[in-house]
Amino acid sequence: MTSRWADTEEDAAEDARRKAEKAERKRLKAEKQRRAEEEAQLRAAAAAKNDTSNGPEYDHERPSKRRRLSHDHIPTTHEEERKLLRFDAPGWQPCRSVERFDRLNHIEEGSYGFVSRAKEEATGEIVAIKKLKLDAARDGGFPVTALREIQTLRAARHRHVVDLREVVVGGSGTGDVYLVMEFLEHDLKTLQEDMDEPFLPSEVKTLLLQLGSAVEFLHDHWILHRDLKTSNILMNNQGEIKLADFGMARFCRDPAPANLTQLVVTLWYRSPELLLGTSSYDSAIDMWSIGCVFGELLTKKSLLQGKNEVDQLSKIFELCGIPTEDTWPGFKRLPNARSLRLPSNSSTAQGSIVRSRFPTLTNAGASLLSSLLSLDPTKRPSAKEMLQDPYFQQDPRPKPTAMFPTFPSKAGQEKRRRQASPNAPIRGAAPGLQGDMDFSSIFKGREEEERGGGFQLKVV
Amino acid sequence: MAPISEASHLLNPLATSLQLETSASQLDGVPKDVEDSVRFETARLVQAAGILLRLPQEIIAQAIVTLQRFWTGPDGGSLLEHDSKDVAAAALYLTAKPSPYPISPRQVLTSFEYLSSLQPGQLSSTSIEGKLDSSWHLSDGEYEIARNKLYDIESHILRVVGFQTHVALPHTLCINYLQTLDVFQSADGSMVAKTAFAHLNSALLSPQLIYLTHQPSAIATAAIYLAAKEVGVKMPEVEWWEVFDLDREELGFLVVALRSIEGFALEHQRTFGKRAVPMTVPDLQVEIERSRMLEAGG
Repeated sequence: MTSRWADTEEDAAEDARRKAEKAERKRLKAEKQRRAEEEAQLRAAAAAKNDTSNGPEYDHERPSKRRRLSHDHIPTTHEEERKLLRFDAPGWQPCRSVERFDRLNHIEEGSYGFVSRAKEEATGEIVAIKKLKLDAARDGGFPVTALREIQTLRAARHRHVVDLREVVVGGSGTGDVYLVMEFLEHDLKTLQEDMDEPFLPSEVKTLLLQLGSAVEFLHDHWILHRDLKTSNILMNNQGEIKLADFGMARFCRDPAPANLTQLVVTLWYRSPELLLGTSSYDSAIDMWSIGCVFGELLTKKSLLQGKNEVDQLSKIFELCGIPTEDTWPGFKRLPNARSLRLPSNSSTAQGSIVRSRFPTLTNAGASLLSSLLSLDPTKRPSAKEMLQDPYFQQDPRPKPTAMFPTFPSKAGQEKRRRQASPNAPIRGAAPGLQGDMDFSSIFKGREEEERGGGFQLKVV
Repeated sequence: MAPISEASHLLNPLATSLQLETSASQLDGVPKDVEDSVRFETARLVQAAGILLRLPQEIIAQAIVTLQRFWTGPDGGSLLEHDSKDVAAAALYLTAKPSPYPISPRQVLTSFEYLSSLQPGQLSSTSIEGKLDSSWHLSDGEYEIARNKLYDIESHILRVVGFQTHVALPHTLCINYLQTLDVFQSADGSMVAKTAFAHLNSALLSPQLIYLTHQPSAIATAAIYLAAKEVGVKMPEVEWWEVFDLDREELGFLVVALRSIEGFALEHQRTFGKRAVPMTVPDLQVEIERSRMLEAGG
């Protein structure tokens, strides 16, 4: 066969059939037209009759009838104009200067740059400007993290992702680069610190739905955020949240590349597979972080506040149970799992105590939180699945954003105090894949711990 | 139908007519034909270096498109600002950096150094791969100077293209369209795909800059049309290109553009013969002077 589109006998037969069909259609059409004409003549005759009997009424009716008739005569267009999709492509132009903005106040200093509130001189619009920390000798030219932040933010135009308006540069010779983004009054972390009570259950649902839709969009567009935490979730006074700080984000693929750095995500939000040193991971790491944010929104306190990697993993196991080959197949093959000394009687698996730690949470809520905090990444729901969870359908229903209370904005008015929470990991400081991380002490002194207060590792 | 305006990874930013009218190089006095030749040669250099560095064609193509964006328009970069071979190296380094195939400054500088040491005409020989032996390298002093220049130009490129480094390519769409058309069912199907890919890659060198004027879907469709004609594989006897949102006029334009590259390359070869194409600012100035004298003399 030379081509699917070459002529064969079948084609010839098909052609003949089509020709016959066409002829039939033509005949039918002619028939229809003939009948229409006949009808028209009849009507005209009737109208003429009417005309002679009662004139004024006829004058009133005639135009509409005529019009209808003429429609019947328009042949059904066979060759109607085909509509081709046209793309509205953006262009590019050299970066403009930061001097078009008046800096108003300093907001925050992150590991990737200084953020300030500023006003665009020409329009009077308030924006947030992030000055990137650049050091060509250290970063090998323009830092790859900043390149990825710009590329992923540009690819992630979504209602609940902060809008990168443009990239501007400092005066000639300074070499400074700034990201101009929309300004939002709050971030969830600072906001929570000033609230007397945690968010209401209905508010938590709304916040989670918004966060989930942003993360679903990112994952659909092959972007991993890799640093989800409450301080990176901005909120305006209309109860709308937007995801920010893409300094850790990158494009991914399926299957995941095998050489990803495991030094991503701020410690308290970092998933167990990252702590165990996996170098091939996927969107499930973001879902773990969402689980941590969920827990934090419920209580106003960070869920898992480890002092270091080892402590973090031990806190995770306290809350979620100790993994076994059944609950998390293959975890023992992860690089840092070698030094992990699990309790000898690990056959009696530790269950998750998520349910008992959140006594006021509904069953649906607790089961969603537990599934987000599955030790095995493959058992965590995707963002899409999370949004479908029954938790969001049950009472209390998610609160409309317009009903959210408003708060005085720290970012808008005054300098923020530094928070005592860990920062995102610094690139290049990644521990070696193997051997560097010693988890052997995690279960040291477990016996004493059992007797002591606080969380206990129950060994039956 | 409403235009699709949301950022899509399948779309490219396109040059405005103002940007296509002139270039910073032409404003600096580089004749259009010399500019075309230098840009053509630079794209070939990136392609050769990419092969040496065993980079996927995806990265090489994206680097060439970024380079084209940089040199386009009155606000673009000028060939008389930096040595074009250095700009080419920076574009390749910059493109590979956030990708899954990053390369080190030393790798990229060494391979460009090697390529610029070749005799004119050797670049096109297919045997260059594997000639790069480990004993061949830049001295530490040379390397440091070259590396700092690489970083400077990288940052310059980013500013000029406004950090617009997203490049969508037609290659995967091309395969997808060929599958949609059931072309792979025919014995010559893979030949059509190969020929279409050859056109897509040659088009990267085109002085008509079709990667800056047309969306990847349009370029892929035109490449398929031309490849099927050349291989002799029959396509549907309807205006099938409209399925891929290309109208006859654009198809015709693109097919002519794709077919004209060969002629341009031969003309380029005739013009320069054994002479090296000027890839540095001083060489380019000599070339501009030469062409001015030729013009005055002829």
